[in-house]
Order: sequence, then structure tokens, then C-alpha cells
Amino acid sequence: MLAEPVARDIAEAQAERLRAAWATPKGWRYVTAVNNTEVGKWYCLTALVFMLLAGVMALIIRLQLAVPENDLVSADRFNQLFTMHGSAMMFLFAVPMFEAISILLLPGMLGARDMPFPRLSAFGYWCFLIGGIFVIGSIFFNVAPRAGWFMYPPLATMDEGPGSDIWLLGLSFIEVASIAAAVELIVGTLKCRPPGMRVNIMPLYAWYVLVVGGMILFAFPPLIAGDFLFELERSFDWPFFDPTRGGDPMLWQHLFWIFGHPEVYIIFLPSIAIAAMVVPTVARRPMFGYSWIVLSAVGTGFLSFGLWVHHMFTTGLPSISLGFFSAASEAVVIPTGIQIFAFLATLLVGRVRMTLPMLWISGALAIFTMGGLTGVMLALAPFDFQAHDTYFIVAHLHYTLFGGMVFPVIAGVYYFFPFIQKRLMSERLGRWAFWLTFSGFNLCFLPMHLTGLLGMPRRVYTYPTGLGWDWLNLISTVGAFVIAAGFSVFVWDLIRPKHRQPQIPRNPWDAGTLEWTHDVPEEAWGVRSIPHVSTRYPLWDEPQMLDRIDAGRYYLPDAQEGKRETLVTSVIDAVPVQVQRVTGPTWITLWAAGFTGGAFIFPTFHWYPPAILCGVLAICCIIGWLWTATAQVPEADSKDAGLGLSLPTYAAGPASVGWWAMWITMLGDATAFASLVFGFFFYWTASPDFPPAGALHPEARLVGLAALAFAANWALTVGARWLNRRSHVGGARLCLIVAPLAAAGGATALVWSVLSLDPTSHVYPAIHWALAVWVAVHAGAGVIMQFYCLAGSIFGKLTPRYDADIWNVSLFWHFVTLSALVTCAVLGLAPEAL
Amino acid sequence: MTEGNKTRREDQEEFAEARASLMKITLGPLIWALHFVCCYGVVAVTCAKGWDYGTVRAGLLIFSAGALGGIAVVGWAAWRQWDVSHTADPVNRLGRAEDRYHFLGHAAFLLSIISAIGVVFVTLPLVLIGGCQ
Ligand code: HEM
Ligand SMILES: [Cu+2]
Repeated sequence: MLAEPVARDIAEAQAERLRAAWATPKGWRYVTAVNNTEVGKWYCLTALVFMLLAGVMALIIRLQLAVPENDLVSADRFNQLFTMHGSAMMFLFAVPMFEAISILLLPGMLGARDMPFPRLSAFGYWCFLIGGIFVIGSIFFNVAPRAGWFMYPPLATMDEGPGSDIWLLGLSFIEVASIAAAVELIVGTLKCRPPGMRVNIMPLYAWYVLVVGGMILFAFPPLIAGDFLFELERSFDWPFFDPTRGGDPMLWQHLFWIFGHPEVYIIFLPSIAIAAMVVPTVARRPMFGYSWIVLSAVGTGFLSFGLWVHHMFTTGLPSISLGFFSAASEAVVIPTGIQIFAFLATLLVGRVRMTLPMLWISGALAIFTMGGLTGVMLALAPFDFQAHDTYFIVAHLHYTLFGGMVFPVIAGVYYFFPFIQKRLMSERLGRWAFWLTFSGFNLCFLPMHLTGLLGMPRRVYTYPTGLGWDWLNLISTVGAFVIAAGFSVFVWDLIRPKHRQPQIPRNPWDAGTLEWTHDVPEEAWGVRSIPHVSTRYPLWDEPQMLDRIDAGRYYLPDAQEGKRETLVTSVIDAVPVQVQRVTGPTWITLWAAGFTGGAFIFPTFHWYPPAILCGVLAICCIIGWLWTATAQVPEADSKDAGLGLSLPTYAAGPASVGWWAMWITMLGDATAFASLVFGFFFYWTASPDFPPAGALHPEARLVGLAALAFAANWALTVGARWLNRRSHVGGARLCLIVAPLAAAGGATALVWSVLSLDPTSHVYPAIHWALAVWVAVHAGAGVIMQFYCLAGSIFGKLTPRYDADIWNVSLFWHFVTLSALVTCAVLGLAPEAL
Repeated sequence: MTEGNKTRREDQEEFAEARASLMKITLGPLIWALHFVCCYGVVAVTCAKGWDYGTVRAGLLIFSAGALGGIAVVGWAAWRQWDVSHTADPVNRLGRAEDRYHFLGHAAFLLSIISAIGVVFVTLPLVLIGGCQ
């Protein structure tokens, strides 16, 4: 069947229909585009701009430190600068860059038309843009956060002015967008691979996306929980981190670094993933030790969660506790090392061409190895006691970040640029940029090791002369400007107009993976027809594949109904299971992002009414968007997907991508909740007066009532799903009317049970309040979802046959019910047990 | 799909997706994580609340041995699944069902080795450090 030629005119007509369905909006409507290629590009450019801004801040920092007793900027300005530099580099550049690049590249590598939820990507992007401008813009108004990028209380909680709130709310907003992108990427990798691409032949990049996506799900929620507590303290004076009222600043440090250390690997692994695509191409042979790389990616993902306390070695924890983290920190070196050895082995046995991307990768390996070595030193607690908070740390962290992130990403830009822009970057400028950045980097940061060992603390805005630091600092400053020169060359090469360049070859590096089947000149459809894949490097192993894709001989060569579609396959073996309709251009995501932004940004200035209004409008937008675009009743149950395969057009429950997205989101949500519960027990271990003598406890009978109501709500929700499936539509609707009442009753009872406690008096009532509020807010969201299903049932969107919505809603309630019951147990039983 | 795949119909069933799960390869690391959290958590509470360190340490050492045993079982099962001595193919680079099956075994096997090393590393402080100071 594959060999059968498709008649010329039929193929043309198919291509025309596909082109129309996937057309990118023109003119000012361009911003409504949701294609991964457009959103990915905006995302990358925005992250790059934030990176450059943060880089300019670094230059000002370096200018200030160039000579002793300098007064270029004031101490307060300096605090804002380094806080903003660190925060922007980490939150506005490093993590979003991974998501941006993956959104841009992943569908190509998987031969998919787009991500499974294009509008979600667009929504995430707009949230990121708004939040990023808000956070970074604060420095122009002299109100930027200034307590360091990890915002330690009590400094940050007691800081006057909106700086800390801008940090907390702005970045929480962006974290939510990050999690949305992670969900999208995980589901994309699991369910949107081309037929035949079993897990053992996915591109390595896809493995890294899975691992990093998973890490984001478990690393970001503790920080979000921390932000939640922190902001409650800042806004309402609930004393979570205030030791005078039972709070404990250490809890913030734990929550921050449970996020913060994995974050380092969340930044590092995607860059390694880029290297894993470049290295086989330049070596012209398959990656050596595929399973070993998978092992090291997954292993690093896990072990990196056991390291967080190595940022807290000097906080006076028992030395045995430090021992565990020191041990785990040394253990993580093993998988990281394996990764690098697999690359070196591939390069050694291959016939390497020193292309530009490879040049940057080599630079990365050299710098990262050096950063790794100082990391091994710092993981030993006694050494860390000496070097803590000195410029030695600044040197170490920049070696790992430049080697582990900046250089590989630039390698990736050179490598993937032909794929992204259908143009080539300049070889000559690229080499200039490399040597300037590489030498500038070492000039800037190598001396810092010594400056640090000579005792210069980090985060000081100036220093006296005569301590032996003067020359070293001057050299560092010169180096910083050399880096800046290198970057300017790179950025110029990136953005300079290139239309006079001749058309590039389709596969300029002679790579073996699917993204290089892209169309030159560009087509917005992603891939003309979705191939069947049977090896790791299909373009090397199956030379006819490209022609067949182009001729539309594989799956989904057509868009008969004029709709955007992509193929959904099974998780392990990529057996085709569904033709998924994906969403197209829209304004609604922009509105939703704008209002969500308002809901986060207004509270910074304690303007609660507009914040609440924005929140409500954001919810309306999101409901409208879901209602009109997701889980639509299809015009036919199944359709021809090409190659004689007929596939369903609708899926519900575990077969659908929406259900997976819900599952994964709720995993992250559950992690945030677990962090709050962890907080409760942390207070219990850390302070002798928890609960304080004579404290009031939550009203036990009301807590019991809440538990019963939540259980009833759960049974009704699941019952509604069950009845609906069996065509008892009336019964299902009745359940969907009673269930929200039960849920609302449960939430009310829970909040009532803590109503007599004063959350500002002590951390014990405060944490009870926080848990109750958390559950109540989730219950509110769940009630909206139940009404959404009820409306769906009434207006024919949800039928016994097409019931995806209620599957997703009951999944949501599985998780929320569990957290409600845990909360009831903590509120009701802990007073007895403690 | 190609003809070759059809003649291997039985293999397809033998390596059916239903029995496979990506989560399985994380079993080893999950044991490591559980072990890590328990050691850290229990010791932290012990030190904070002044429980008897000696008994706790003995308990945790036994627990460590148990964790290692668990990882050994996982590793052994994964080794059998990888089945490299029969297939003589350590790479599994083709897209057939049995390749995927052996590959998952291989990955799980390697991960259990890393997890075992991790558990040993984390147990060392228990052996080497005698108290809470
Ligand atoms: C042009 C290149 C860069 C230069 C010259 C530079 C310079 C510096 C300096 C001098 C500090 C120490 C400030 C102080 O302690 O007073 C610093 C801190 C920091 N940098 Fe960079 N940096 C650069 C790029 C990056 C990149 C690419 C990242 C991350 C991806 C990054 C992340 C950080 C972080 C997290 C801190 C700690 C901030 C804090 O102490 O709160 N930097 N940087
Ligand atoms: Cu760390």
C-alpha cells in the first residue's frame, strides 16, 4: 500500500486542504496563532530578551565591582540588581527556554502536526510574557525585589515595599505557566509519537523531555506551596516564617531548595538533550549506549531530589542529616558522568566534523566539567563551610550554568536554526562569537574561584582596597565585557536579515531524526503525512521515507473536514488509537492570560477588588475556551486515517489526551498539597510549642461533617459518570446537582471548623487555616467543573457516548477528595495525636 | 506495517503492551527515594525530639538492608527481562516488540544498579556518624 503512488491531482488537492486548515493567521491577527512553530519562536525570543536584560544587569554589577570603594550604584540598587539578575536568569530564561525550545522542536522530532493542546501552549506563553515584563520591569521603578534570588525570610518577609510581593506573585504566575507547559510536553511525548515509535526508539530528546517534565511536576509545587504561605504572611500577617509566633524560616529554605536543587537539573538536562541530538549527527553514527543515557537521565532526575540540603549546610542541622545529603550529592555525579562518557565514546568511535554546533558543545563539556569538579568539592560539607557565600560559589554556579545550559543552548540554536527559520547562520560570525564568549567566560569567572578563596563574600556592593581582591575583580569585569561582546556577535547573527541567502538544503547536517523532514520553504502543517517509524534514525535507515512523506503516502495526508488533526498513539508501543482534533487560532487565550495576570498582579499592590474581578473574568474566559474547543462531539465516530486504517475521532477517560493532562496536572497539585502537610509536621518537629499550650483546636465535629460531605460528593460525582455511561442521563444530572451542594457544604464546614482560631496569633492556627483555604479553593474549582458537566449534559455536549468531560472531572475529584480527607485527618486527629 | 511483523504475531502478544509500563523502570529509584526520605525524616525527628539514636540507627540499618534486598529483586527481574545472554543483543535498537521489551529490562536493570549505589551511599553516614551533634 505504501508503494502505491498517489495521483498527482489528488495529492495536490490534499495538500491544499491541509495548508488551509493549518494556515497561520496574517496581519495583526498573527498574535492569535497557536501553532507550536509560532508560539515556540515567540517563547524563545522572549526568553532571550529577558536573558539579555539580566545580562546587562550583570554588567552593571561587574562595573560596580571593578574597583574598590566604587559608587556607581547604591547599595540598595545593587541588591535589586543581583536579585533580579539571578531571578531573571533562572525563572525567566533557563526554565522557560527549555519549554520554549521543546515546544518548538518536539512535534518535529515526533513527526506530529502540533502539540496536543496548542492553545494551552499559547496561554502559557502569554502568561510568561505578562509575568516576565511585570517582574523585570520593577527594576525600572526602583521597586525590584532585593533579598537575593532565594528570598530568605525574615529578610524578605520583613522587607518594606512591594519588591518581595512582586517576586512571589509574579513568579508564581510564571510557575503555573511552566507547569502547564510541562503537562503539555509530557502528554505530547507519551501520546503524540508517530506510529511504530516505541519507547526504545524515541529520540533521546524525548526521553529528556519526559524526565524534565516529571521533575518540574515534583519540583515546582513545593515552591508554589512555599509562595502561598509566604504571601499569606506578607499580606495577612500569618506567621509561617516568624519565629516569635512559632513560625520557622527554615521551612522556607526547605521548600525553596526542594525546588531549587532539582531546578538546576531541570536546566541542565534539556541542554544535555540538545547535545544528545547534535553528537550523533556530527559523529555520523547512532548514539553509543542509548540505554545508558536513558538510565542517566532517569537516574539524575531521581537523585537530584536528594540534594537540597547541600544548600543549607551552614544552617546548623545535625551533621548526620548533612551526611545524607552530602552522600546523595556525590552519588548524583555517577549518572551525570555516564552521560558525558557516552557522548565522548560516540565522538571517539565516530568520524567527527567540527561543525559550529559541535564547537559550542565542546566548549560546554570543558566548562561544565570544571563546574562539576568544584561541585564535588562543595558537596563535602566541611569544604562548603569555608566557601559558603563567597565568590567561589559564584564561580561554581556560573561554570555549571554556562557549561550546562548557555553553551549547549547556543549549540542548539546553531544546529536547529535551519529547521526553525529555514536559513543558515554564519560560520564565521559563529566562530567569533564562540571564542569571544569562551575566553571572556574564563577570564571573568576563573579568577572568582581565587577571589572567593581569598574571602570575598558574594552579594557585597563594594569592598575596601588592599585585601588582594582588586586585580582579580578588575580582570573579572573585563572578562564580563568580553562575554558581552561575544553575545552581541551571536545575537546579531541571529537577528540580521537573511532573505538574500539562497534556499538551504533540507537536511544541512545530514542528521537522522524526523525533524529534518521539515518542508523548505516553510509549511505550517508540521508534516505532510505522518510516517510509520521503525528505527532510531529513520532518515539514515530508510532513505525512501522522505519521498513518501512528501507524496502523502503515510497517515493523515488530508484534512477532509478542514480541521486541524494529529495522530494519537499508545504510550509504550505507539499503536495508533485516535485522530485528535487540535485547536486553532484564537483571541481567547490572550484574554484568559491577561485576566489571569491581573489576578496575580493586583494583589501585589493590595488592590483586591480588581484582582477578584480579573480572577472571575479569567475563569469565564477559560470556561468559554474549553466549552467551544475541547471534547467536541465529532461529526462521525471514526475516520480514515490513511493506509487503510480507520480510527476513532473521540476518546474519553484514559484513552484521551485530556485525561492524561488532568492526571499529570493533579500529580503536581497533589505535590503542592503534600508540601503544605509537610509544613505542618515540620513545625511539629522543629518547635517545642507546636501546638502551643492552651491552643484552640479546630472544631472536631465540623471536621467530621466536612469529611462526610466530601465523601458523599465523591460518590455522587463518580456515580454521575457511571449513570451517564449507562444512559441514565436523568440520574446523572441529579447527581451533578446534588454533588456540588455536598462539596460546597464540605468546604463550608471545613472553613467553619477553623473560624474561631486566630491565624495571626501563632503558626498553629495559621497552618490549619492554610490547609482549609487550600481545600476550599479546590472544592470551588471542582464545583465549577461539576456545573460545566451538568450544562454539557443539558446542551448535548456531554452524552452517554461522548463523556470525556465527566471522566476528567471525576479524576479531578479523586485527587481533591483525597486531599480533603487528609486535611480533615490532620485538622481533626492531629490535636489528639500531638 | 510490513510482512515481517505479521509472522511474528505471537511475539507481539508475548510482549503485549498491557503488561508493560514505563513506571516499572522507576521501581529501583523509587525504592532509593523511599529509603532516602525515611532515613532523613526519621533521623531528623529523632534528633529534634531526643529519641534514642542507637535504636533508631539499628532500625534504619536493617531497613537499608531491606531496601537493598528490594532493589536486588527488581534488578534480578529486570536482568531476566533484558535477557541479554539469549538475545546476545545488548543494544535493542530496532523497533520490534521484543526489542522494546528487552530494552525496558535493560533500562530497569541499569537503574537498579544506580539505585543500589545510591542506597549504599546514603547508608554510609548512618554507619560512620555516631550521633546527632
Ligand atoms: C554575562 C554573563 C554573566 C555575568 C557577568 C554574571 C555575573 C554575576 C555576578 C557577578 C554575580 C554575583 C553577584 C553578587 O553576589 O553580588 C552573579 C550572580 C548570579 N548569577 Fe550571574 N552572571 C552571568 C550570567 C548568568 C547566567 C547565564 C545565569 C543563569 C542561567 C546566572 C545566574 C546567576 C545566579 C542564580 C546568581 C545568584 C544571584 C544571587 O546571589 O541572588 N548568571 N552573576
Ligand atoms: Cu544544589
